[in-house]
Amino acid sequence: MTVVIGFEGSANKIGIGIVRDGEVLSNPRRTYITPPGQGFLPRETAKHHRGVILTVLREALDEAGLKPADIDCVAYTKGPGMGAPLVTVALVARTVAQLWGKPLVGVNHCIGHIEMGRLITGANNPTVLYVSGGNTQVIAYSERRYRIFGETIDIAVGNCLDRFARVIKISNDPSPGYNIEQMAKKGKQYIELPYTVKGMDVSFSGILSYIEEMAHKMLSSGQCTAEDLCFSLQETVFSMLVEITERAMAHCGSQEVLIVGGVGCNLRLQEMMGIMCEERGAHLFATDERFCIDNGAMIAQAGWEMFRMGQVTELSDSWITQRYRTDEVEVTWRD
Amino acid sequence: MASCVRASMSDNQFELTIEVPFPSQREVSIALQSLSPDREPGTGGTVRTLSASANALSVKWNAVEARSLRVSAGSFLDHLALVMETMDAFGQPALP
Repeated sequence: MTVVIGFEGSANKIGIGIVRDGEVLSNPRRTYITPPGQGFLPRETAKHHRGVILTVLREALDEAGLKPADIDCVAYTKGPGMGAPLVTVALVARTVAQLWGKPLVGVNHCIGHIEMGRLITGANNPTVLYVSGGNTQVIAYSERRYRIFGETIDIAVGNCLDRFARVIKISNDPSPGYNIEQMAKKGKQYIELPYTVKGMDVSFSGILSYIEEMAHKMLSSGQCTAEDLCFSLQETVFSMLVEITERAMAHCGSQEVLIVGGVGCNLRLQEMMGIMCEERGAHLFATDERFCIDNGAMIAQAGWEMFRMGQVTELSDSWITQRYRTDEVEVTWRD
Repeated sequence: MASCVRASMSDNQFELTIEVPFPSQREVSIALQSLSPDREPGTGGTVRTLSASANALSVKWNAVEARSLRVSAGSFLDHLALVMETMDAFGQPALP
């Protein structure tokens, strides 16, 4: 049996999870929630993580019913993400690895999402749509790499949604995306927005500028409601994502789609992707907020795969990196 | 925890040295290896050097600007405090 503890804190969530041979033993998490209209900044986010990380670590061990001696390997997020929060989490991972005399393994955050999605859903070789506040990529596996078939050329889809939420002061609790999703259900009118698919890539910054510009005018003149805007924004950006995912499937001859990342728990996105899959006779795999949204178990799971293949990260090489592309990692654990 | 701080300025170069005592060589070594891997961010011309003696961690900064020295030292102290808290909380494995 191999037990791996995973530390994640690349954005506003801090999570520590323990995985034993495909079984999630514990996965506690805390979220740094900012007031409506405000985003999370690196310094304040790191401060939040520093304040709670040792409590979360204690919870992870207690819930799993394990002692440090039972752990075989300490995995942590090496990148990509915000520098200050990444350093905070890496510091604790390095310190406990040394205190407990365990090897360390640095994990690519995106690979963590993919491996967690595969573990939970049992998808074998899916085309992956990875959508979150910091990343938007369509990925397929080929010859030891998760290859990026399409991606955003500017901001992530989740960043577009989060910043729209700030414009019209939607609450960030539990997350701006969740609140947009609930409001969108009450939308009655579709407002046309720019639709920006460029080949296999997508762009969201123009859509955001457009809606930022027109939102207050349309709301104050009563031309539409905030709910209509939420609905229209979701329909537009999710259609774009379904389009590039479908094209990647056609390229690869794939019959499986896996949605991962924080935006992936949006049920409307899952529904739209499901319709596309049904038309193609393909299968959709998705997870709920426990595993879609950043968490420690996903880092533990990817770390478990790496550790089993004999990969470890020396302390001197354990620096964090804000930029770390999905296709930089050699996937040694798949055929 | 006591520490000795020395600061000086010469030729527009700011220098700061901090000595942090630890109970034993083991803790010094753990702190050094936890705090060393990440390089100083940015290009502010601030250089931070870490070294270890038998029971103390020495940190030395050389900087062109006082402001970037202050930022670097402030964030280092946050990091050091977190490493020490982690040692306190998880350093002694509970005996069965």
